Amino acid sequence: MDSLSSAELESTHVHSVYEAIAPHFSDTRYKPWPVVERFLNSQPDGSIGADVGCGNGKYLGVNKKLFIAGSDRSFNLSKIAHERGFECLVCDNLKLPYRDDSFDFVLSIAVIHHMASEERRVLALKELVRILKPGGRMLVFVWAMEQHGRRRFDQQDVFVTWNLPKDRYRHPPEKDKPESETVQTTTNNTRSCHVVYDRFYHLFLQGELDRIIELAGGVDIEETGYDRDNWFVISKKRYT
Amino acid sequence: MRLITHNMLQCPVKGCSKDNFPLRIEDAEIENADADFNPQFLKRMLDRIAWGALVQTSFSLGVAKLPESPGDPNDDEFLQTLHHVLLETRVKEGRMVCNGCGHVYPIREGIPNMLLQENEV
Ligand SMILES: C[S@@+](CC[C@H](N)C(=O)[O-])C[C@H]1O[C@@H](n2cnc3c(N)ncnc32)[C@H](O)[C@@H]1O
Ligand SMILES: [Zn+2]
Repeated sequence: MDSLSSAELESTHVHSVYEAIAPHFSDTRYKPWPVVERFLNSQPDGSIGADVGCGNGKYLGVNKKLFIAGSDRSFNLSKIAHERGFECLVCDNLKLPYRDDSFDFVLSIAVIHHMASEERRVLALKELVRILKPGGRMLVFVWAMEQHGRRRFDQQDVFVTWNLPKDRYRHPPEKDKPESETVQTTTNNTRSCHVVYDRFYHLFLQGELDRIIELAGGVDIEETGYDRDNWFVISKKRYT
Repeated sequence: MRLITHNMLQCPVKGCSKDNFPLRIEDAEIENADADFNPQFLKRMLDRIAWGALVQTSFSLGVAKLPESPGDPNDDEFLQTLHHVLLETRVKEGRMVCNGCGHVYPIREGIPNMLLQENEV
């Protein structure tokens, strides 16, 4: 992992992976997490929000009285969100194309843990705070090192495999892959035929998300919690 | 891309801080899609929208001529026009160009591509 720069690591083991697994990933993402649902339903009617790294747009339609601008780094996931009737654009969380102080609320659900250095995770958070209005709220979810589910990890920076069933989903043929892409694909014949992708994750220790949100600055933390193997923080932008 | 989204956008190129908003829309293929009319939502939008940018963009696309300053929020006709401009007008194909640095952001199948090259970040 160390030989690659963080940007290269994310390009190969995050962005290319989501591009390739988009339809399958989308089929597995439909049920909103309760904390996110509660956050969205607590926003006043007519608020406008940004869901950065919105994936297939599963949160864009939860509360019909809000307008949410979806965005994702993946073209294929943005296309799926758009086909479902949602507003979506392609951009990078590290350089958001939005005006300062323009959103009533911001969602970042399971995205920051894909950034490969603390510097980049803080940068990503700074961008989220920048586009938030003073008084606006931000909800951030990241995967926890302290897992209650079946997974166990012995270090914070890990690869987590995604098995793409070959028979049900077309995987991008080699020739269609951009040159930079070097996702390792191995075939597993034991169960059915899968293409295996390694996704990079940085797993968060208890308190770590709070710490880097404070490093990013500009917000006060209102609530911290743990839900389904994830840490989450709700914070509010200061008026200064 | 709806014009409400366009109104939130600015050029993300590093160091581009003058004339980085609103992005100029060129060669646009416009599509209209019905959206539910919600006066409460529109009234709340009035202080969230950068009005001058919306007037300019709406005019340049030939969508509607909005008043120089936001109209009466209780005027139904004004709200109907605003609704049409913000939520029903969509750019399907075309591009956005930054008046500050000239960067071009393509829009394909309704999805803007706002990614930069590594050296622009
Ligand atoms: C685990 S998925 C979560 C998707 C969605 N938020 C949800 O809860 O279902 C992570 C998403 O983050 C996106 N992503 C990863 N890195 C990103 C970046 N630098 N900028 C924007 N999106 C990014 C991926 O493309 C993917 O859609
Ligand atoms: Zn620019």
